[in-house]
Amino acid sequence: MNLKFQEFQKLNLGLKELDGIRIKSFKKFETQGFPSKRQEHWKYSDLRTIINENFKNLQIFKENTRSKYNDNFLIKSFEHNKIVLLNGNLVDSSFVYEDKKKITIKSLKSVLDNKEEFEKIKSYFEDDQNSMISLNHALVNDGITLEVDDRYSFKKPLIIYNFFNEIADSKIINNKVFISLGKESKLCLVDFYKCENDIKYFNNMIHNYTIKENAIFKKYSINSSLDRSYNYNSTKINSYSNSVFENFLLSLGPNFIKNEIHCNLLENFSSSFVNGIMLLNGNQHHELKTNINHKYENCKSSQLIKSVLLDKSSGTFQGKIYVDKRAQKTNGYQLSKALILSENSEFNSKPELEIYADDVKCSHGSTTGNIDENSIFYLMSRGLTREQANKMIVEGFLNEVIETITESDIKLLISKLFKERINKVKV
Amino acid sequence: MLEINKLSASIEGKKILKDFDLKINPGEVHAIMGPNGSGKSTLANILSGRKGYEIEGKASYEGNDLLEIPIEERAQKGIFLAFQYPTEIPGVNTNNFLKTSLNTIRKFRGLKELDSLDFLKLVKEKSKNLKIEEKILSRQLNVGFSGGEKKKNEILQMTILEPKLAILDETDSGLDIDALRIVSNGVNSLRDKKRSFLIITHYQRLLNYIKPDFVHVLVDGKIVKTGCGDLAKELEKDGYEGVTTIK
Repeated sequence: MNLKFQEFQKLNLGLKELDGIRIKSFKKFETQGFPSKRQEHWKYSDLRTIINENFKNLQIFKENTRSKYNDNFLIKSFEHNKIVLLNGNLVDSSFVYEDKKKITIKSLKSVLDNKEEFEKIKSYFEDDQNSMISLNHALVNDGITLEVDDRYSFKKPLIIYNFFNEIADSKIINNKVFISLGKESKLCLVDFYKCENDIKYFNNMIHNYTIKENAIFKKYSINSSLDRSYNYNSTKINSYSNSVFENFLLSLGPNFIKNEIHCNLLENFSSSFVNGIMLLNGNQHHELKTNINHKYENCKSSQLIKSVLLDKSSGTFQGKIYVDKRAQKTNGYQLSKALILSENSEFNSKPELEIYADDVKCSHGSTTGNIDENSIFYLMSRGLTREQANKMIVEGFLNEVIETITESDIKLLISKLFKERINKVKV
Repeated sequence: MLEINKLSASIEGKKILKDFDLKINPGEVHAIMGPNGSGKSTLANILSGRKGYEIEGKASYEGNDLLEIPIEERAQKGIFLAFQYPTEIPGVNTNNFLKTSLNTIRKFRGLKELDSLDFLKLVKEKSKNLKIEEKILSRQLNVGFSGGEKKKNEILQMTILEPKLAILDETDSGLDIDALRIVSNGVNSLRDKKRSFLIITHYQRLLNYIKPDFVHVLVDGKIVKTGCGDLAKELEKDGYEGVTTIK
């Protein structure tokens, strides 16, 4: 793998100060290379092999996409605010339903050019959890920062459209999204992914969220349409007192995706909910890794992940609940259930609890198996064919997670996209 | 309608039904009574097509070899089994399931499929007749249902699917008197000259409400005695042992 960093450097993107960070970060990446299965956290998703097998000549994405995006892909079923990232570049945004004085949106490019603005996010560039994060620091091209003022509740959901087109072909796109919710604010965000063409690209994306006290943040990641993309998506959340973070993940579309969700519950009574479904076929490989860090007393977390694997697909869930010694009265819950419907499919589940406090309530469970034959028999004895019965059971199995969604418009959208997908696969 | 000749069934080498004979004509109601482990549920399972049994002998349904008909086709051709223990299926909405089931069966019978509106109208009517709360139909299939609700749901399905041959596998077990009436009303409302019933039960109680044309006593995989409705009362008085030793 030969990423032409020197060439990229010559573009002089952003402040002088950033140059040093880029060089240092790229060195870190170069010494480690792409993560491989030798690293515990990448055991089930050997990115080095995946990249070598699928990208002969991976190039750094450095363009500033100005082309128009295809607005046929916009969601029309409910009113919403929008941000459009085309190949990671901010190309459009509209907040017609909101009080614009309460919201600050900037392209990351402009932030990286402005000393004062850059100061605010500089510390995030010190994160060197793995080589993909270092690579992102080194090659970051664009993205957004979004700040919501104290006591401002969004009236309508915000959809971030992550569109990709032919310019991204054979490239690795590195972008970042920063969202900060002020005290007592509220935001409902849909992170929607869609590739306009039949191309191959790698998207290395980092999200950093700050949820201040009493704020509510609901986030829905929708990766629903089949494409040939490869993705690493790391989300890190800092939650303050009494705040709520609800996350739902619809993991159906891309060839490969590793989603990482790190929640830091930093103050009293903050909570995190991470739910999601995977429905994979063909050679798809998806992984979800969660890391819920209970750093303070009285915090609550819950995770429910359901997966269905067909053909030669494989799925992984690595879920960790960490309870600091000061985090008494923690309530942590985790459950992963998977159905493996083909002999060649695979599911790996690694639940972890690491607890240093003594007054906590934590549980985890993980099951992987086939469809219950008694259920099949019951449905078939009512006239359904085996295929109909299978489909009904699989749909019901995954629907249980969709039912936990608390926003009705978004639940409908996700149900619809899920139905479209399940109607296309042979269960 | 149904003719069973010398049917033997075993599971894991253990013989459960032994040269079992039974003939049910259209419009007849047959009750099969018997002690625990006599093979009653095995009979119901085999008739509805459950796998896992080694079967010898013959069973024909409307002149066709029943044992060769796939499970779903048996249902489409009019066989209905009310389960002793209805399966809980999480995430599957009862109404959606029932609509799919009804339309699959209607399609097979050459009838027009019902749209959601007509279907709901039908369900409303049927559940009202049976005094079954419609609410249970918007819940997940049998999930969290009480024993009584599960059995009532089976009977509601039966009245909606209108089978030709209904097999009730201990539907009365675990029911209170009110639920027992609901179940019996369901059966009685469907009784006509063409429709047949096979009612499997431990107790005579149910037969106070559903008057069978024939009562069979099944002991150790074989029918040992056949009689009219009064046989059930004898059984209640003398027990299975009493009736079978008199023979």
